[in-house]
Amino acid sequence: MSQQSSDPTIYDALMFVSLGAVIIGIVFWVLTLNSYGWTSG
Amino acid sequence: MNNVVAKTLIVLQLVFSLCFMCFAGAVYTFQKGWRDKAEASARQVSDLQKTLSDQQAARADEKTKLEADKKKLQDDAGNAIAQINQLTNDLGQARAGLAAAEQERDKHLADLLVAQQEAQARITETTAARSEINTLRDQLNQGIALRRSLEDDNLDRQGKIDEAAEREEQMLREIGRLRDLCRVNRVDPNEPVVGPVPAAITRVDGVVRQSRKNASRSAELVEISIGSDDGIGPKMKLIVFRGSRYICEIEITDVYPDMAVGRVIEATRNGSIERGDNVTTKL
Repeated sequence: MSQQSSDPTIYDALMFVSLGAVIIGIVFWVLTLNSYGWTSG
Repeated sequence: MNNVVAKTLIVLQLVFSLCFMCFAGAVYTFQKGWRDKAEASARQVSDLQKTLSDQQAARADEKTKLEADKKKLQDDAGNAIAQINQLTNDLGQARAGLAAAEQERDKHLADLLVAQQEAQARITETTAARSEINTLRDQLNQGIALRRSLEDDNLDRQGKIDEAAEREEQMLREIGRLRDLCRVNRVDPNEPVVGPVPAAITRVDGVVRQSRKNASRSAELVEISIGSDDGIGPKMKLIVFRGSRYICEIEITDVYPDMAVGRVIEATRNGSIERGDNVTTKL
């Protein structure tokens, strides 16, 4: 039975960074919509 | 092979995630300025709309006013045209009247010439009449002067007539008195006069030689320088005066040819008699 390697690679880090960037983008988006009262104009 | 695709998708996911984050951050960062700008634009648009509505209302009012003015001006123009037509008609009538007036004037001028000639003739007649009036006036003045002189003469004669009437009345009274005197003295006034009639004494003047009282001192006797040669007779009354002063009257008692003696009538005395006083039969 072959044992798979579980060591994080650079791509795992990049996935983590991208997830953080998405979260931060969502936070900015929510804050922006909050300042407009969740309306379009 | 799968590994390569997975790696590529991971890189793409990273890129898109970063782009999304940057876009969201940028939007969050600049949205306030954009919002202020949008609100300012919205206010400006509102103001512009308000200004536009005001201007449109003002334009409508102005349009209404201009239409009213236009209508009024059109009415005025109509009235003016009517007045012009009326004035044109009046002008035609006035011209016709002017022509008639000119004809009338020419006629009046001709009449005036005739009237002037007639007036000139009247003036000539008036001048002649005035000269005749002056002649008649002179004759009238002469007649008035003659009438006045005749009236004066008439008045003088009337005065003489009155005086003669008065004298006649005096004479009649004197005749009556003399008749009475003749009747008292038993003299017939119808008896004819025999012998010369002594002349009547008109006026005889003399002077007082002396005066003295009588023996009883009851009367004053005066000797004067005129006597029977001068026509002085007994019982004549003479007047004694000195200058312009009346003194008294005397009654002759004794008469001599060149002198006479008289007695002072005390009732007529107005002063004392002195030598040299004048004596006269009448003043």
